Amino acid sequence: MGGGDVYDAVIVVALLLVAASATAAVVQRDPARQALVLSFSGVVLATLFTVLQAPDVGLSQLAVGSALTPLLIMLSVRKIRRRGRSKEDTR
Amino acid sequence: MNGWILAAGIVLGGGGAAALWGVTTGPPARRVIAQNLTTSAVCPALLLFAQGYGRPAYVDLALLLALLGPVGTLVFARLLSGEPERERTSAWGLTWAAAALGAAVVVALCVAGGPGRAMVKLLAIGVLLIGGNLIASRALAGGFQGVRGG
Repeated sequence: MGGGDVYDAVIVVALLLVAASATAAVVQRDPARQALVLSFSGVVLATLFTVLQAPDVGLSQLAVGSALTPLLIMLSVRKIRRRGRSKEDTR
Repeated sequence: MNGWILAAGIVLGGGGAAALWGVTTGPPARRVIAQNLTTSAVCPALLLFAQGYGRPAYVDLALLLALLGPVGTLVFARLLSGEPERERTSAWGLTWAAAALGAAVVVALCVAGGPGRAMVKLLAIGVLLIGGNLIASRALAGGFQGVRGG
């Protein structure tokens, strides 16, 4: 077994995880659940960048993808739900 | 040197696949636990990659993930509290298994690297990883209602 095989195999594993998680995030219907899968997808994407020897890109992707994007999505979802609820109450 | 990469690939593939399956299926409470598992599986994998590629700078990614992963989980635990289903969900077996994985990886890297500043950094990452994991698990096990207070 050559030395390059392991490196390629790791890249393939990371690529497969990114493809599967991104597809899963699109397939989900509920925005809150989409945010959960998106958070997982962001972390795996950062790992893919690391495996491809781009840790600086991975660092920023990690900072944005793991906590910031889910926070924004969940805050928007909550605000929209609350607004819908208060409109139903006034009717 | 390739052994580290191989171990990282196995941790990434196994933990990632389990977390992906958990995060896409089942009730919301279980999905948040799977999201927490993502951090505890990918962070040791990143540490192993840093050792395998021989680039100590890659350890910073693991440090950032150990810091921000539990924050993300707490965001979900806090903001999902409006969901109608509020069953108490805890997975302490999984939590301790993830903590043991993180501790094993940190100890193995400390033994391989020897004493020095890098070892202090590794130990700090290990403490952050396991501590954040326990805090997040406790917040989830106390029910989403328990997180409301703080």
